[in-house]
Amino acid sequence: MWAAVRKLRDHELWWHFTRSPLAVGSAGLVFAFVLGALTAPWLAPHDPFDPARVFLADAFLPPVWVEGGDPRFLLGTDDQGRCVLSTILWGARISFFVGVSAVAFSAALGTVLGITAGSVGGAYESLVMRAADVQLTFPGILVALLIGGIARTLVPPALLEAAAVWVVVASIGIAGWPQYARIARAVTLVETSKDYIAAAQVMGLHPVRIMFRHLLPNVIGPISVVGTIGLALAIVSEATLSFLGVGVPPTTPSLGTLIRIGNDFLFSGEWWIVFFPSLALVLLVSAVNLLGDWLRDALDPKLR
Amino acid sequence: MPLLEVEELRIVFDTRKGPLCAVDRASFAIDRGEILGLVGESGAGKSLIATAIIGLLAPPARIAGGTVRLAGRRIDDLDAEAMRRIRGRAIGAIFQDPLGALNPLFTIGRQLEETIRVHRALDRRAARARAVELLRAVGIPDPERRLDAYPHELSGGMRQRVVIALALCADPLLVVADEPTTALDVSVQAQILRLLEQSCRERGAAVLLVTHDLGAIGAIADRVAVLYAGRIVEIGPVAAVVRNPRHPYTRGLLGAIPRIGARPRRLVQIEGTMPRLDAVPTGCAFHPRCPHAVARCRGERPELEPMGEARAVACFRPRGAEGGLG
Amino acid sequence: MSAPPLVEAFGLEKRFAIARPWLARLADRGRGRFVHAVAGVDLAVPRGRTLALVGESGCGKSTLARLLVGLLLPSAGRIRFDGRDLDLRLGRRAWAPVRRRIQMIFQDPYASLDPRWRVADILAEPLEAFGLVRSRGERRERVEELLRQVGLSPADGQKYPHEFSGGQRQRISIARALASRPDFLVCDEPTSALDVSVQAQILNLMKQLQEELDLTYLFISHDLAVVSVMADVVGVMYLGRIVELAPSKELFLRPRHPYTRLLLDTVREPGRRGRLPLAGEVPSPIDPPPGCAFHPRCPWASARCRGERPELEPVGEAHAVACHGVEEGRLPDPRGAPVSSPCAAP
Ligand SMILES: Nc1ncnc2c1ncn2[C@@H]1O[C@H](COP(=O)(O)OP(=O)(O)OP(=O)(O)O)[C@@H](O)[C@H]1O
Ligand SMILES: Nc1ncnc2c1ncn2[C@@H]1O[C@H](COP(=O)(O)OP(=O)(O)OP(=O)(O)O)[C@@H](O)[C@H]1O
Ligand code: SF4
Ligand SMILES: [Mg+2]
Ligand SMILES: [Mg+2]
Repeated sequence: MWAAVRKLRDHELWWHFTRSPLAVGSAGLVFAFVLGALTAPWLAPHDPFDPARVFLADAFLPPVWVEGGDPRFLLGTDDQGRCVLSTILWGARISFFVGVSAVAFSAALGTVLGITAGSVGGAYESLVMRAADVQLTFPGILVALLIGGIARTLVPPALLEAAAVWVVVASIGIAGWPQYARIARAVTLVETSKDYIAAAQVMGLHPVRIMFRHLLPNVIGPISVVGTIGLALAIVSEATLSFLGVGVPPTTPSLGTLIRIGNDFLFSGEWWIVFFPSLALVLLVSAVNLLGDWLRDALDPKLR
Repeated sequence: MPLLEVEELRIVFDTRKGPLCAVDRASFAIDRGEILGLVGESGAGKSLIATAIIGLLAPPARIAGGTVRLAGRRIDDLDAEAMRRIRGRAIGAIFQDPLGALNPLFTIGRQLEETIRVHRALDRRAARARAVELLRAVGIPDPERRLDAYPHELSGGMRQRVVIALALCADPLLVVADEPTTALDVSVQAQILRLLEQSCRERGAAVLLVTHDLGAIGAIADRVAVLYAGRIVEIGPVAAVVRNPRHPYTRGLLGAIPRIGARPRRLVQIEGTMPRLDAVPTGCAFHPRCPHAVARCRGERPELEPMGEARAVACFRPRGAEGGLG
Repeated sequence: MSAPPLVEAFGLEKRFAIARPWLARLADRGRGRFVHAVAGVDLAVPRGRTLALVGESGCGKSTLARLLVGLLLPSAGRIRFDGRDLDLRLGRRAWAPVRRRIQMIFQDPYASLDPRWRVADILAEPLEAFGLVRSRGERRERVEELLRQVGLSPADGQKYPHEFSGGQRQRISIARALASRPDFLVCDEPTSALDVSVQAQILNLMKQLQEELDLTYLFISHDLAVVSVMADVVGVMYLGRIVELAPSKELFLRPRHPYTRLLLDTVREPGRRGRLPLAGEVPSPIDPPPGCAFHPRCPWASARCRGERPELEPVGEAHAVACHGVEEGRLPDPRGAPVSSPCAAP
């Protein structure tokens, strides 16, 4: 354990990291969000989803510093009397969960397709990569909408409520695979042209074993960089879907759902219901994005 | 007065862990019309010296001491603009990769014409005629037609000929050639070396030929400087150095070269490898690998001392010296 | 050369389709253009000896090497190992019975070791792949033995490849190739990327290992001097074919083919200025010249050379040449390899 920590500390990346205020700042913000999301059940001042504790009488309270604010609700309450701060913490939890799962899904799918395409070649490679090209010509959100729509017609209505989150994960996940497949294939092509792969072939190793033991470790680095940037995108996609009403159901609202709910009250003066979730989303997405950009630059020797 | 005088040149890298000395007090001179070979193994600092002379050293590397004079005038402390003018006019450069030296988007004719017109007040027509003349001089068949070719349409050898033509088009006093044949086929290497020698001798241009190939130096150079871990360990006329190497490293290097006809059971080998920049040994940098090292070699750095006709060696126990090896 | 050869090839050929996308090839119904990288090669590597292949860049040396170890499948021809034909209809599986006995050493010491693996794991990979070690202890012992065999220390096993110099990496490559106790090592320019002093170390090591382990080498190089030091038999390749094949001494003393003579003329040694080389460059293997592929550069080319391809014909004991000029006896007597100046080294 300590060896790992020491290794990290001595690593070049750490050195670059500590010298980039932007990286440290965005990492801190992301870390705060992750922590908040993970500990929401304990951290949140209220449980916004317990009907027994939510009172309509508390509805539409403004933030504390605004006249009429209630000290119990730091950022005010929404139309149902739920604490906005608590819904944001819980919402970030859902947004994170969907984002991470979707990225994991597309990264796994894209990596498998990309590595196999790169090492098998031929018609299979053409097929996979053309499919990726075609999909990339459509906006990701459109693809996600389409896949979500198809999935919803396939899932029995009784299960729809429970499966909604997974439908969102799958649709965002499938919409994202081409990026990862392209990178995995590119890395695979570069690595397979190197002689250590030839040496493994001369040993008679099975191609699948070569993929796992030699290719995969090389692919993971670039994939995780794209994954970080992809996470920001996935969170935005989820918010968009939820905002459009085809994402996460309002019973377990994500940041996007909160923004949709708040949007209805924007012009009636209850600005805080939409403002704070939006602010949270913008901060979260920018921080993740900046971190991803920094990571990409730091790992790219050409940019040093 | 020699054409190029390099004195006590020091080149360092600024790294996170402090400055690393890559070239340490290198001194040599080249006369007008002379060809000096600079030989050494990979990482010895040959390219650093060459790039320092043509003023293209880029951070983290920098000149940390010493002087470079061209025809008596200091050029190591010039600003970028002044150095660029010198590079165009007085110094021609040839690098290992001919593709990198040519712009892929323009025909070779256009590149030649433009370079010619930068240096001489010629109109298009005259510049073109001069370009044809140059291409013919570097042995490119059918030069009128080749002018309209793009670099990628030429073979490696042809490209290197074009690069040589480019380097020579301003009739420079000095040509710095860094591994000009390393990327080429063996049968083409010999042609290019001959071409380089002939065209420079005809124009009276001096040449600094940087290479790791002692054979190439033997083929065209007048004198040779042997570089080891950033230090010149031996310098002298090629024939004399090859026939009677005085420094143990030069001797090992020459012995390690396989030769046709001789079929030894084992080649002479120098044990170990050249040190990395951050671990250059104290005293004589070669002492850990040297079969003749004594206590003094470990503690004190030998300076390049004149020894015999036009030769100098940096060794406490050079062959042929009193108290040295027989 | 009385013992039967260990490795033989008959009429070996490899064509590469010129990089065209699969769909484009489909569109013109497979009538693609080809590079004839290896265009019909016969050779036999004597047991316990070294056959060297020499030739310029692109003449097909690496392709031939990869065909013999089964990294590429031949387009035509047969391969025989230890007296038994490989059943090439099986594709890559044809090599399964001889996998352990054929290994390869590569040119680029930086690309031939997986940068993410420790040296001990790199060396253990073939041991495990061929099931040669049973326990962890046995594995460690064998890895240490291999490291010592190539002149490294057992402690080096815990390091990563980037901690080694080019020459040391090439030692690791050799150790990996030796791990399965092979009989036949294909060495594709193993020292081209190294400095002369390191090259000497590696060549000495290879010679010593050959003697100790009774190895058979196919040694590829573009450097005639290196070949003369290593080879028992030399094959000179030009555009995918062997144009001259002879015992090393004979070849350097009496080179017959004009291309071999050209190569010998270009040899530079520190003490020699070399002869004035021939003009011309290697033509493209995509559209090789008709007849003798060397005729555009050959000072002795005749009309026959431009139209008819010369076959490899014996011109003496164990010496074969593919040249009309030699066959017709109209070439001047060969000037042997220039004898180098008295060696200055101790
Ligand atoms: N950015 C850098 N930081 C630190 N050291 C460097 C850097 N770039 C090069 N070096 C070191 O500088 C030394 C001299 O390099 P140089 O390119 O002059 O060698 P060379 O003699 O031309 O070798 P080669 O034959 O490989 O071209 C080498 O040891 C190299 O490792
Ligand atoms: N996978 C491939 N696809 C298409 N062409 C290829 C392929 N591999 C090699 N070639 C071509 O086949 C020819 C022979 O290549 P090969 O690598 O065998 O030459 P070589 O003699 O080893 O050259 P070098 O000295 O440069 O290593 C070259 O023209 C090359 O471009
Ligand atoms: S066959 Fe003819 S062209 Fe070819 S090498 Fe012999 S003499 Fe020259
Ligand atoms: Mg260099
Ligand atoms: Mg090759």
